[in-house]
Amino acid sequence: MELILTNTGSYPRIGDTAELQQLRRAHGQRERGEISAESLAKVQDAVTAEVVREQIAAGVELPTDGQVRWGDGLSYFAANLNGVSMNGLLRFFDTNTYFRQPVVTGRLSRKGPLFARDYRQAVKAAGRPVKAVVPGPYTMARGSILESGYRSVHALTVAYGAVLAQEVSELAGQGAPVIQVDEPAILRHPSDLAILAEALVVLARGKGAARLSLATYFGDAAPIYDDLQDLTVDVLHVDLTYSPALGRVIADRGSTKALSLGLLDARNTKMETRETVFPLLDLIGRRLRTPAHLAPSAGLEYLPRDRARAKLEAMRRLRDAYVGERR
Amino acid sequence: MSRAKLKSLGFDLPLLPTTSVGSLTKPDDLLAARARHARNEITQAELERLEEQATEFWIRQQEEIGLDVLVDGEMYRGDMVAYFAGLMGGFTLGGLVRSYGNRYYHKPIIGGEVKWPGPMTVGWWKKAQAMTRRPVKGMLTGPYTVMDWSFNDYYPDRRAAARALAREIRKEVEALVEAGCKIIQIDEPALSVRAEELQVAIEAMHVVTEGLPAYFLTHVCYGAFEFIYPAMLALPVDNWDLEMSNSGLDLVELFKAHPFTKDLSFGIVDVHTHVLEDIDVVKERVARALSVMPADQVWLDPDCGLKTRTVPETIDKLRLVVEAAQAARFALGAKT
Repeated sequence: MELILTNTGSYPRIGDTAELQQLRRAHGQRERGEISAESLAKVQDAVTAEVVREQIAAGVELPTDGQVRWGDGLSYFAANLNGVSMNGLLRFFDTNTYFRQPVVTGRLSRKGPLFARDYRQAVKAAGRPVKAVVPGPYTMARGSILESGYRSVHALTVAYGAVLAQEVSELAGQGAPVIQVDEPAILRHPSDLAILAEALVVLARGKGAARLSLATYFGDAAPIYDDLQDLTVDVLHVDLTYSPALGRVIADRGSTKALSLGLLDARNTKMETRETVFPLLDLIGRRLRTPAHLAPSAGLEYLPRDRARAKLEAMRRLRDAYVGERR
Repeated sequence: MSRAKLKSLGFDLPLLPTTSVGSLTKPDDLLAARARHARNEITQAELERLEEQATEFWIRQQEEIGLDVLVDGEMYRGDMVAYFAGLMGGFTLGGLVRSYGNRYYHKPIIGGEVKWPGPMTVGWWKKAQAMTRRPVKGMLTGPYTVMDWSFNDYYPDRRAAARALAREIRKEVEALVEAGCKIIQIDEPALSVRAEELQVAIEAMHVVTEGLPAYFLTHVCYGAFEFIYPAMLALPVDNWDLEMSNSGLDLVELFKAHPFTKDLSFGIVDVHTHVLEDIDVVKERVARALSVMPADQVWLDPDCGLKTRTVPETIDKLRLVVEAAQAARFALGAKT
């Protein structure tokens, strides 16, 4: 069985030592007007390089840029759009973290390319292709306040899809092998799957040779697992920490897509062991299309930096032991 | 129904009782002292003297404003979970994690069996209650929220961690009751975010409150209530304190579809903005509350804790609550 080790998106941008807090200090200095936007961007680049290298050192084969520049899952992209203003803070799903809520006030268009630049920085640090991550059009629409410009969440999802398609196209042009589209909201609103499906078709038009990966997390994908198989994506990421039933569902149904198995709990410090991971891999393994991905359940930013790294190191140890023993 | 319970506990509160959610603004000298204490530049006793001073300041302010049920303002707490985790056995302080923007906090880790260390809030409640003849609420964070806002390295799952915490938090509630506290608020802001775990929170709250002679409130905010209402009404408390104004009173529509069967502390002032609402806007929010609830089930307060506002903003927002309550009582022909 071939399991590629990947990260599911974010990585803690600071740690507990002074040298790991340069980004926190730089943001503080920027807020007080002590440094320029360009100086802050340089620190962001340096920290991006740092977290990319840290993922690779921990054994990750397909790292991400760590989403070091993202203020949160929605507003980083939304702030780069015409037709959007920003509202107050709202809780981000069931996390004890918050996002700034976009307010859609008119037709959406980009102020310019966003993710391709971040991707280039990450590749420079990694010395190899990395996985790109973009927010999903449905989660963007669900998390936005719709004031004007569109008639419904459906129309807004498709509109977000259209502007995200430009980002996807540029990322594909940069050589991104996998472009992950984050859609946690669909697990909360499964009746809207048809809306997501329509937007993903738009998104997929620009993907070129890249593989599109749909990331679902913060919920139980088991009830809609069959429907997710019908979407126009190449890889499906599922969060196996929420659902006791999902492993059995995958074992029963198999998958028409490559799966990204979110087996390591990105929300808790408790370390996975062979006793918790191997039985699930045994259950699912015979139905996997390989190569599959092994990954944290969600972005790792919910953990302290040292624990995030330890999780990735554990992931490599477990993968190596499992593949070695089952060979 | 719950007014009868309050009466039986010895409280004769006016119609539409006014209160605040819990935290109030820490004065600048206290904030500076907390920073100095963290750097070991002042003693615990010096810090506590300023905490007591600030508590007395807020008790006097609340009395002068005319609130009916007071709070100690939580001058001695930083974070509502880390405070308890720092005192209880079984916790260690984890590394920094990001909350939003450039804000980070040390998220606690449950690394062993959680254990009540003896009274954690009783001393502060006694001090605050001794400063006033008006009732002061006991204030705790609930087991589900402490579990959800901590990492769990020890218990096999989230339910087991919540139940263990509930057993220990009940001891704090018993100590408050023993000290004479009869109105106790057990905050559960995490309750509304995982609909599938509502029963875990309900079970845990049963462990905390069952059979104890007190009027229990819970404060919940920032939630996806559409997924847990009306099932959430099974939580064994007398009064739900809900953030209403920040979300445009959208919960009122849920209450139209299914009546709210408990008492409700209705947030009529938005705490997330520096802007002071016009009194007519606040009165309209009271009218909306009374359009879906009998007046004798309604309490009035701000949406959430006020610790992020300045001292003058906090005072002005609390005044708005009292002014709107008095106007509504007058309109209803009740004692103001």
